[in-house]
Amino acid sequence: MVKIVIDDKHIEVPEGTTILKAAVDAGITIPTLCFNEELTPAGACRVCVVEVASEGEPDLVTACDTPVREGMVIATAGPAAERLRRTSIEMLLAQSPHSSRISTLAARYGAEKPDFDLEAKECILCRLCVRTCREATGVEAISLVTRGPGRTEPAHVEVDWDKCIACASCAYICPTEAITAEDTGDLRVITIAGNRNEFKMKRCGACGAYFAPEKQIEFMAEKSGLGMEKFELCMDCRP
Amino acid sequence: MKTKEYTSWRGLTAPPRELGGKPIKAVIGWKGIDILSDQFSVADLCRAYMQEVAALACGECSVGYNGTRLVAGMLEKLCRGQGTALDFIYMKALAGTVRFNSKCDFCAQSIQPVLDALQDLEMEFTKVAASPNPVTAGQYDVRIGAPCTLACPARQDVPGYIELIRNHRYDQALDIIKKTNCLPGITGRTCVAFCEQNCVRGEVDEPVSIRALKRVPADYATPAKKEPAAGSGRKVAVIGAGPAGLACASGLSDRGYDVTVYDEQPSAGGMTFAGIPPYRLPRQVIEADTTSIKAGASFKTGKRVSLSEVEKAGFEAVFIATGAHQSRPPGIDNWNEAYTGLMQGVKFLAAVNRGEKPRVGRKVIVVGGGNTAIDCARTAIRLGADEATIVYRRSRSEMPARDDEVAAAEAEGVKIIFLALPSRIINEGNRVTGVECIRMELGEPDESGRRRPVPVKGSEFMIGADMVLPAIGEVPDTTFIGRADGVELTSWGTIKTDDAMATSRRGVFAGGDCVSGPASIVEAIAAGNRAAESIDRFLGARPAKDDPDAQVYRELLMDKARYEKTALRTSRVHPDEMPVDSRFGGLDEIEKVYTPAQAELEAQRCLRCYRVVLTAF
Repeated sequence: MVKIVIDDKHIEVPEGTTILKAAVDAGITIPTLCFNEELTPAGACRVCVVEVASEGEPDLVTACDTPVREGMVIATAGPAAERLRRTSIEMLLAQSPHSSRISTLAARYGAEKPDFDLEAKECILCRLCVRTCREATGVEAISLVTRGPGRTEPAHVEVDWDKCIACASCAYICPTEAITAEDTGDLRVITIAGNRNEFKMKRCGACGAYFAPEKQIEFMAEKSGLGMEKFELCMDCRP
Repeated sequence: MKTKEYTSWRGLTAPPRELGGKPIKAVIGWKGIDILSDQFSVADLCRAYMQEVAALACGECSVGYNGTRLVAGMLEKLCRGQGTALDFIYMKALAGTVRFNSKCDFCAQSIQPVLDALQDLEMEFTKVAASPNPVTAGQYDVRIGAPCTLACPARQDVPGYIELIRNHRYDQALDIIKKTNCLPGITGRTCVAFCEQNCVRGEVDEPVSIRALKRVPADYATPAKKEPAAGSGRKVAVIGAGPAGLACASGLSDRGYDVTVYDEQPSAGGMTFAGIPPYRLPRQVIEADTTSIKAGASFKTGKRVSLSEVEKAGFEAVFIATGAHQSRPPGIDNWNEAYTGLMQGVKFLAAVNRGEKPRVGRKVIVVGGGNTAIDCARTAIRLGADEATIVYRRSRSEMPARDDEVAAAEAEGVKIIFLALPSRIINEGNRVTGVECIRMELGEPDESGRRRPVPVKGSEFMIGADMVLPAIGEVPDTTFIGRADGVELTSWGTIKTDDAMATSRRGVFAGGDCVSGPASIVEAIAAGNRAAESIDRFLGARPAKDDPDAQVYRELLMDKARYEKTALRTSRVHPDEMPVDSRFGGLDEIEKVYTPAQAELEAQRCLRCYRVVLTAF
């Protein structure tokens, strides 16, 4: 166990616990955006920045991906962290002005109208979709394309439609309007950061309703080893 | 504050004051800003610098990605004469956020000189903001590098491929590696990793496992099918299919030359094939790395050729990369290879690596302290030796073998006797029964900088042995070059070349171990890459690339100095290994490749230390 102080509360947590988990367990709220407890933290949105007193190490760290250390003293809403948080949220809002989650967060920090312009792209590169597709679904159809020397195209998420099973988990997890999924009878239309694709839906063998994308059913049949015949019926018609 | 002669430079290496005889007005880089003149605009310098920085911000975190391009955009606007006093305030807030809330080092460290200027040289910005006139853009020399990249002889873009590995984009990572390193599978297992010695993460905790990460795309990626390059089809010969020869052949066939590679060994790979045992480098890895090179060149292997024979075959240029395979004499008075159990270490390894089963003694003595000695001992103990003992004339700290190799050998039960030198073979008829050694002590440093071992009089002692494998170094075998060929050698027996790798004979180039003496695989690859470039220039009658400032910038960009408090301490992810107990009786590979999740975790440790340096003249 590791002894820490978080917002003046003295607590003990298991080694390897992140600051965020320790705070949540102690009843303290730290704002987050790119965090989901089922997924590997990415430290992408920088909204959960907190202040720590720690020798030789940073004074300002993101709570989601920083493990606690013995004797760490954490202030989740110190003035330096709050200032950084506000500007970081402001940048996210400038990048994704239509996201209600970001707008709500920005309102809480008095940053409803960003002081600067960014070409709005909706996608904030938080990689929740990438991590969901890879870690939760096990498909790995979405990945982040970054920039570097000789790689000058803007950073973006790239989708491999051949691998995509149209499960729409990415649309569900996306905190902005960058990913959408829409069912129109026999088709599911998925749009990921401006990149659109249509998928055929499967009809229920009993009632005839379209109930899931064909590719997703094939994926589930293969993963489970149960064979396609077990997936002929929709949830309502299953015995 | 007076602008002229302002400095905030905190690097270990001082910025240059002049370059190529031209005086410098200012230098801006990750370690600060250094101003020597007031005849230029600081705002424009920052603008040009931030443009480069923003273009390199990767996109892994929104603060670095958005913050750098916002600051760059505001500076751009300011210098166009459209800035306002408010922009100055926003810039400060944004730059501060980038400095203290970015995910990795690149943006956090790169923004500091701009923060310095915004804080200390405020007037420079407010005067531009107050004027409606655009600022005249200055002339700048831009350099980008990373300490790991510049420590690598082949200048590989290490942060670039690590970032792609972190994002599971193995195909693209392999593409980046292959631009400067045609042997990713081989080097991903066996490279000496100069990059790791200069890794900035090493200043925080431990260096990133760059070698192990390189293996990930080599093992997991699907290599792209290369289309034959269009080009002149002019004929070039490469003698030697080791790393230098392969790199040169690969570079030349990519440029459209018709390349023929000769080697006396039946298999390509050179010393990586003959000298490195399969438990460190499985044969199929060499096969995989050489397959794509073989697709672009014709290989004539399994037959020794002379330089004059090759020249007669009508090539316009020849690259000699024959390595250093000839063992140095063991320096033991009654050494006689006719005795059973006496064999040069590299010959023993070469036989094992060809799949032969040479007789292995029960008590094996290996002489030497390099990687070949370690390989001999570890191979012998796998193939049935009860004991393998290394005898080395200096102490542990002078040992040239890789530390992890020495530790692994010891874990497998290899003993090392330091400060001893075999002086005489003890034999019964032509059967070896032991070695007489003499104790050594360390005297004054020699030309290599290591302390010279000196024998201690009367300290002779005996070790029982039925096999002795000296591995005290190799020299090039240049007997395939005739006197009439006009290729000059050095007094060390290596081939003499100029800066462009040309030998004394026109059209004949040389590189790798046959020029440098025994060195690393990556140095040979770098030599092969440079040779391909040189030969291409020679045949195209283009002058050699002239960059007199390269060394100055290299030292500057290799500087490991960093601002503290931007990186948490972490620990290295170690690849899984075969348990020690299972290693005997076979030569199966010990180290496993990282799983994608392990690779992602280790790749996260990279601080992405690209550095941008901009010089104003």
